[in-house]
Amino acid sequence: MNAKDREREMTTQQHQTQYICRIRFARKGSLSYIGHLDLMRTFERAIRRTELPLLHTQGYNPRPVLVFALPLGVGISTESDYVDIAFSVPVPPEQVIREMNRFLPPDLWTVDGVVVPEGTGSVMAAVTSASYRFEAPQILPYVKRALEADSLLVTKISKGETREVDIRPLILMDLTADDAKGEDAVCLLFRAGSRENLRPDLFLSAVTRHFAYDEDAAANCRVTRTGLFTGVFPNYTDLKEI
Amino acid sequence: MSLQHSYHPVTLQHRDLMAVQNPARYTGGEWGAIIKSEVLSELIATGRTDTVRFAFCFPDIYEIGMSNLALRILYHVLNSSPDVWCERAFSPWKDMDAILREKKIPLFALESGSPLCEFDIVGFTLQYELCYTNVLQMLELGGIPLRSADRTETDPIVVAGGPVVYNSEPVAPFFDLIMIGEGEEMILELTDLAKKKKLSAKTDHPMTREEFLLQAASIPGVYVPSFYDVSYRADGTVQSVLPNRAGIPSVIQKRIILDLDAVSYPTETIVTNTRIVHDRAYLELFRGCIRGCRFCQAGFLYRPVREKSAETLLEQGIALEQSTGCDELGMLSLSTSDFTDLSPLTDGLIEAFDGHHTSLSLPSLRVDSFSLDLMEKVSSTRKSGLTFAPEAGTQRLRDVINKGISEEDILSSLDLAFQGGWSSVKLYFMLGLPSETEEDVIGISDLVRKIEQLYFDVARRLGTRLRKLEITVSTSMYIPKPFTPFQWEPQDSLEAFQRKQSLLREKLRSRNIKYIWHDLDTSCWEVVMSRGDRRLADVLEKGYRKGYIFDSWDDCFSYSGWVSLLEEAGLSMDFYSRRREEDEIFPWDHIDCGVKKEFLLREKKRAEQGIVTPPCRESCSACGADCFGGGVCYERERS
Repeated sequence: MNAKDREREMTTQQHQTQYICRIRFARKGSLSYIGHLDLMRTFERAIRRTELPLLHTQGYNPRPVLVFALPLGVGISTESDYVDIAFSVPVPPEQVIREMNRFLPPDLWTVDGVVVPEGTGSVMAAVTSASYRFEAPQILPYVKRALEADSLLVTKISKGETREVDIRPLILMDLTADDAKGEDAVCLLFRAGSRENLRPDLFLSAVTRHFAYDEDAAANCRVTRTGLFTGVFPNYTDLKEI
Repeated sequence: MSLQHSYHPVTLQHRDLMAVQNPARYTGGEWGAIIKSEVLSELIATGRTDTVRFAFCFPDIYEIGMSNLALRILYHVLNSSPDVWCERAFSPWKDMDAILREKKIPLFALESGSPLCEFDIVGFTLQYELCYTNVLQMLELGGIPLRSADRTETDPIVVAGGPVVYNSEPVAPFFDLIMIGEGEEMILELTDLAKKKKLSAKTDHPMTREEFLLQAASIPGVYVPSFYDVSYRADGTVQSVLPNRAGIPSVIQKRIILDLDAVSYPTETIVTNTRIVHDRAYLELFRGCIRGCRFCQAGFLYRPVREKSAETLLEQGIALEQSTGCDELGMLSLSTSDFTDLSPLTDGLIEAFDGHHTSLSLPSLRVDSFSLDLMEKVSSTRKSGLTFAPEAGTQRLRDVINKGISEEDILSSLDLAFQGGWSSVKLYFMLGLPSETEEDVIGISDLVRKIEQLYFDVARRLGTRLRKLEITVSTSMYIPKPFTPFQWEPQDSLEAFQRKQSLLREKLRSRNIKYIWHDLDTSCWEVVMSRGDRRLADVLEKGYRKGYIFDSWDDCFSYSGWVSLLEEAGLSMDFYSRRREEDEIFPWDHIDCGVKKEFLLREKKRAEQGIVTPPCRESCSACGADCFGGGVCYERERS
């Protein structure tokens, strides 16, 4: 049997029971400035530093089984993101949290976790919306005006093609009242996930373009993801409540 | 120095970080980065500390600097001392360089955010000659006068170390002192002295810079360039390099560590948050090389060979894998196959990593049945390419350069490898080696064609269909370096190189062969910098003022710019690349790396006659490196 066949054999037939923990994590400061792949790698290495029984994929190039709910862009902090981690034996989530917090770099930490029953769908597929906090001087009145508009056109470049896209339908709700920080902050719920997703920087570009919000202030705007949600709006649920 | 200084940490704005490539280069915050919190609290509260503050500077971008083992070793050694806090700083890429200049933000160290000018010692590791202008970039952005002569009592002491400082003359005026050789012990002797200086600042007799440098000059291995006067002959060659103060050694001998088992090695080290060039944990097997390839500077600079024991390495390897979480452990040395206990070491590591999915990487491994078997065992991933470095195309030329590898060796190991299922081969050659003729250049393509043919012969013999053959041939320009038997030899002209390259390009046309070549312009400049003298410092500073930084990046390098600056200074490329007389005094003759000039000259003559010299373990050739009293030179006596 050649290597390729052997690999296929191993992945399809050698089924191992997975014990999955869904871990909520947060990042700030220096760890906000890394991309999604680097974040995955940082998690992988941190778990390898713990003695937790991490499950690896079978085959010739075994990788740990980590599934992130929604990639985080460079420069975005988070208070509430999720990763599913597969173990080869059951591990209490409290132990995962404790161990991981000993071994993660300073600006990245886990908050809490739950055991995911077998047969539960992927955390990635569950995400339908995400909330973000935007912090920048005097941003509130500009965003209020943007939310009153029927459409918000932005320029999107994909596969070398430039298109005008209306992002207004992707903004689901204004959550600012729940997250009061005065005139210098807003909190919004955007559609998110693999099907439709609104990136916070795209929203900011619309606010500067159509409502003349100061570009420099927008460039300095601190963006924090404050939550991930599942379910069809308006019947949406915070992932942490599941 | 820092008595007057307070603590002014730099915090970059979000928009600045978002405007550059890979902002994590400038944020720090990695696992294993050392924040000495008691010192930091002192700095925040009072703006000063008695702890010696050392900024370890790497004059290239973060991803390259963090891949350097010297940085990791010395960061660990310095921070193990209760009297020192060592931090890191890297060259900002052009995008961040522009922001720092425009906004007048000083270059800072990642741990505390302090500008470089707030440190007691600013130390550079110089790994290659083309980083010199980046040293100037870091000094200027860090708020430090470029030249030693212009620094005052409040400026940091600027020091350097690393492989290229064996001839540091082109950058000598920019450094207050230079450490020659292995730094683990020397650097702590230096920080002890800096501690004295710092404490003396509180007394009636504060130690001056001059006093500090005088005392530092008596630390073995420390070279204070300003304490030496260089005079030149009418033809531009060096007449003499003489101490200009009493009690200063006329020759500086490099420092080495004799017992590598006893010296501190980082088993806990920084794990970067982003991908870097060499993204793995490293074990250092040994220093030095027994081979004596005549073109290889490292092979002479790091003599004598000193090994770590397999027990020490096993312990360090296991600890490193655990503490870093890396899934790859790299073995570092100049020639992995020459490590005495390679088999017990790799067996031990494979056993210890069972079930961890950790792979070992073994670069510079000679290809034979043992190593093929080993490669199969250690790598959890698919069969990667095999690498050979015949360096020259004919046996005659391989004898000249003392490369102890024959065509038969190469073909028989490849026969084994092809049978074992390998189908990707990388071959490294050099063009412009001393005495090279067109026949030698064609010899390269002949050898490559024989390998190509061998692959199909093996396939026929086995009666199997094999995977697609991929032969990658890479040529670089030979740069005759100081402290090698070829230090007297000229470098080929740019035109000669171009001619040889196009000849090979023609000869290597095949669907199975890929020919890649190293940039010619940068290699021509490298010979100037590696064999240059102090007069080049002015040229470097002028080039820096014109914006020439990141010279080692092909697309940043301006060949014509540098050539015209050289000419403006009344110097020329030809002067530095020319053949040198056997009795010529070199700009680096006051530095002693153990291996003596007489030996190198003997080797040069043997090369001319095509006589090979055996490796150290077979027979001693009396190179002079036994002067350190240890290592391979005394192995026979011990056993």
